[in-house]
Amino acid sequence: MRRKISLYGLTFSLPLLIWQILFFVFPLLFLIALSFWTVKNFTMRPDFNMVNWTTIYGRGVFWQAYGTTFALAAAASVLTSVLAFPAAYAIAFKLSDAARRWAVFLMVIPFFTSYLVRVYSWQIFLSDNGIINVILGWVGLGPFQMLNTVGATIIGYLTLSFPLVVLLQLFSLAFLDRTLIEAAHNLRCGRVRTVFAVVIPSARVGLVIAALFCFILSFGDFVSPVYLGGGEPTTLSILITDTTKSGQQWPRAAVIALTMIGTLMLVAFAAVKFAYKGKTK
Amino acid sequence: MSRDTLVSFEGVVKRFGNFLAVQKLDFEIRKGEFLAIMGSSGCGKTTTLRMLAGLEAPSEGVIRLAGKPINDLPTWSRDTPMVWQSLALFPFLNVRENVEFALKMRGVGKVERRRRAEQWLDRMQITEFAERNISQLSGGQRQRVALARSLVVEPEILLLDEPLSALDAALKVRMQSVLKNLQRETGITFVYVTHSQSEAFSMADRVVIMSRGKIEQIGTPQEIYRTPRSRFVAEFLGSSNIFQGTLERGDRGGIVLDTPLGKFETGGPAVVQPGSAATMTVLDTKTHLATERPSGTRNVFSARMVGEEFVGATATIYLEAPGGQEIRVQKGHDELAGLPLEIGRELFIHWDPSDGHVIAQA
Repeated sequence: MRRKISLYGLTFSLPLLIWQILFFVFPLLFLIALSFWTVKNFTMRPDFNMVNWTTIYGRGVFWQAYGTTFALAAAASVLTSVLAFPAAYAIAFKLSDAARRWAVFLMVIPFFTSYLVRVYSWQIFLSDNGIINVILGWVGLGPFQMLNTVGATIIGYLTLSFPLVVLLQLFSLAFLDRTLIEAAHNLRCGRVRTVFAVVIPSARVGLVIAALFCFILSFGDFVSPVYLGGGEPTTLSILITDTTKSGQQWPRAAVIALTMIGTLMLVAFAAVKFAYKGKTK
Repeated sequence: MSRDTLVSFEGVVKRFGNFLAVQKLDFEIRKGEFLAIMGSSGCGKTTTLRMLAGLEAPSEGVIRLAGKPINDLPTWSRDTPMVWQSLALFPFLNVRENVEFALKMRGVGKVERRRRAEQWLDRMQITEFAERNISQLSGGQRQRVALARSLVVEPEILLLDEPLSALDAALKVRMQSVLKNLQRETGITFVYVTHSQSEAFSMADRVVIMSRGKIEQIGTPQEIYRTPRSRFVAEFLGSSNIFQGTLERGDRGGIVLDTPLGKFETGGPAVVQPGSAATMTVLDTKTHLATERPSGTRNVFSARMVGEEFVGATATIYLEAPGGQEIRVQKGHDELAGLPLEIGRELFIHWDPSDGHVIAQA
């Protein structure tokens, strides 16, 4: 009987399992192996050599890019979470059921268009003679440099993750026990205070996971720092492409990629641990 | 409005869209009493409580707390703490933090907060769980935390919305005495909403019976039990035999109810219009059984036994009167000892005229 059930379960999970092994575990193992290979005369050779790790970790450029990428992703997570929360809160608590369905639909719409296209359309707004500067020009302001700045990169990160963060926050708020809010009001906790004292702590898991998604998406993003940030400051994703382009240094790029994967794993682990703090006792 | 009135409902109506949840409520809650509001689901009892808590606004009428209208006062500006059916304890706070919550919201300092919370933890005998998470507590312990959380501010009134419904029977009875003692000791006015007759009647000083958004009767449990004011109340309580008929003036001075089962005398000198339709109730504990037709009483008819049910020390005998009406008789086992209790057996039903309670109908 038990065997039958596990076979039944396996039938459905097997394709996913095979997919994961083929396209995630196997490439990851290859990436690890690759990071120990050596490059001679623009040709890669299988090897077991620490030289790529020591080279990359010995470079100031790498650590600078690492710090920048981490800081930008963290800033984007905080900013997106803070901006998304009032929207998610309003959709969850202030809208009628019909309006809420429309709001969810509208949050899904951005995914209809490729992220790259959405980033290009930001260029039309942000460039030196773009829409925003033209409008500012009418009132005698500007032009301001908005494209190719850190701010533009952050706008790109927001574009990437804002709808997703709103949706994730919305779902955690939608499942919140409303009587907890009433109970707080009833115990003399005012509206605004209730948001901080009850709503946010109750929805903590969802809010942290939403921020984590934003961090993951931003940390590895290549499009925004290049097309909106103009490649300055250099992020890790840009550093990877630069490394592969300069002299076939795929093994060094592998070191950077593995460092990124490791970082994301640590961040994700810490975030989940924080989200569930005090819940699993 | 008398001096000992704490809350008064004056012509209070509550509509949800087209649905009339509460229609024209007029009643008072006295200072220091244990008031139970009872009714089946959808009768408006919870809506009434929520209006008092400030969680719903009345559509019409005025609610006064200590003489002042509180209609427009949001719930966070009232001192009407509530104990929820789900208890609504904050899962992200431990027991102590839950109890301290209301004090914190009132800006009570940390040391004072802790001292007062400690008192209530001790009083509710949950001190040893102070640092635990809510998820680690049993149902009864949660119940105590919920009470402590609401009572820590020592309010004048405490609202309870079916707080015991999730507990098992034995624990329920234990918590009833905890609640009753707590109310007596603190002198805090308790307003307790329930659908359970046993909870309402065992704890409350006065009971409000509601049906379809209206009050059917207010009174002490004794009054309601013995003299239900309407057929609805008598049927809702389910502890009386109900006879429908026409009133006549009796030849011996009392009142007689002419029913299909016979002409029954009642002792009560009720002011009634002869010829009008009326309902008479006789408590099932005051209804007697006999094998021989008892002499000297007119309140007699025969019925066929259809079933029996034992609950603890008492038994309920079910009989069917001619015409199909069900008759209940509740007795102690010793009182039934001499009777031939067999299904299908014909027995005589009788009662004392003074035990018949007449409900005049409009």
